[in-house]
Amino acid sequence: MKTTLVLDPSSALTIVVAVLGLSILTVSLLYYALKSRRVRVTNVYLSGEPESVVSSVTPSISSMYWGFMKRFAKSLYRVLVEGVHTGSLHDWYRFLSSWLALLVLLAVIVFIASIIAGW
Amino acid sequence: MYLDVYVYALFSILVFPGTIFLVALAFFTQYLIRKLSARYQRRMGPSYVGPIGLLQPFYDFLKLLRAKEEVVNRFSMPRLAEFALIIGVSCIVSSVIFLPISLLNVATVFDVLIFFYLSSVMPLFAMVIASLSMPSPYTNIGVSRLLSLVTIAEPAYFASILVPVYLATRGDGLFMSISSTYVNFSRLYSSPITLAILALSIIGFTVSIQVKAMYPPFNIPEAEQEIIAGYETEFSGPLLALARLLHDLDLVIALVIGVYVLLGGPAPFNHLSPLGGLVLVLKYLILLLLVVTLKNIMGRYRIDQALVQVFKYGLIPPILAAILALVAP
Repeated sequence: MKTTLVLDPSSALTIVVAVLGLSILTVSLLYYALKSRRVRVTNVYLSGEPESVVSSVTPSISSMYWGFMKRFAKSLYRVLVEGVHTGSLHDWYRFLSSWLALLVLLAVIVFIASIIAGW
Repeated sequence: MYLDVYVYALFSILVFPGTIFLVALAFFTQYLIRKLSARYQRRMGPSYVGPIGLLQPFYDFLKLLRAKEEVVNRFSMPRLAEFALIIGVSCIVSSVIFLPISLLNVATVFDVLIFFYLSSVMPLFAMVIASLSMPSPYTNIGVSRLLSLVTIAEPAYFASILVPVYLATRGDGLFMSISSTYVNFSRLYSSPITLAILALSIIGFTVSIQVKAMYPPFNIPEAEQEIIAGYETEFSGPLLALARLLHDLDLVIALVIGVYVLLGGPAPFNHLSPLGGLVLVLKYLILLLLVVTLKNIMGRYRIDQALVQVFKYGLIPPILAAILALVAP
């Protein structure tokens, strides 16, 4: 009723590649046999943007930067900018004595210790 | 013996739990999502096509595939988009051979990594490549938002799957194997620490699956009305049918692996018993109900809010789970 093949990783990968090939064949056959052949060509609607928006093969770097680094990382940087880089020695000491700084310090010590101990 | 293996392999890929079963399950899951969402919003939901509207997702798919035309412009690359989407669907279909439910179940050490690559990484790249093959300003924004979100959500999903697999298979001959996890799942109930680890993994899994499905509150990559349909704005006709199918299959396979790795599959029964089958279906429906409930009770986050929330509630719990798993006896 059911077969379990316990294999070494390379044999398992060989089977997976064969199965993937069979799947691609099956899905392609079904898709191309069933799909509609009608195509309508239209003008591209760019919402006032220049053509360079769609002529490049990937999204613009600036939009990815805006999406991830500048917006997400801003909340992370805010901690450093408003908490540490204020010009006040007290703020700097308060951050260094916090649990986050101690955690970072601990990580650095463990890292150096592991190098010295040759782990 | 070899003939048996070939027959089981063919049946597993083409019928159960491969192409036909997975596609049918994707349509059924889509039906339940639409019906439950409608009930949350005091609507009827799909009701007319087939008994109690069961065939509505299938007919929608068929309409897009057979009746609707493909709309292209001079920047479109529809053949590349088709190719990418077919690869994505095929990767999900072939990943089922690692699931214990498959008639031909392949097991090896670290097979969870191959499964993750096939069922999660490849479909994501396929969707991104397909979207970028049909460019528009909205597609670009949708894709950049999608990539930003998955940068955090995919590691969260990966960790939430990996931790229970590690706990169940450590010291076992088939280390990090899905089949072995299914067999040894009772180990995860063995102590309060492993139960706590499992709970943390489930939290991370729930949040990350919401991102993978791009359901509220993490539907900013398609952000209906704000950026038209985001990453799928330029898909139409058969291409849209294929993209929707890939999206639904991605959700289905994530739910199935969640049922096996986080909830123990048919445990405490086995697959071949009627009770085992019933428990398996119930666990799938419970996970699905959780996803649909979150989808309907939450509003959409902005991209920066979404990233912070995924980081807090999606990534940190499985990381804590991983640390606990490493130190747990």
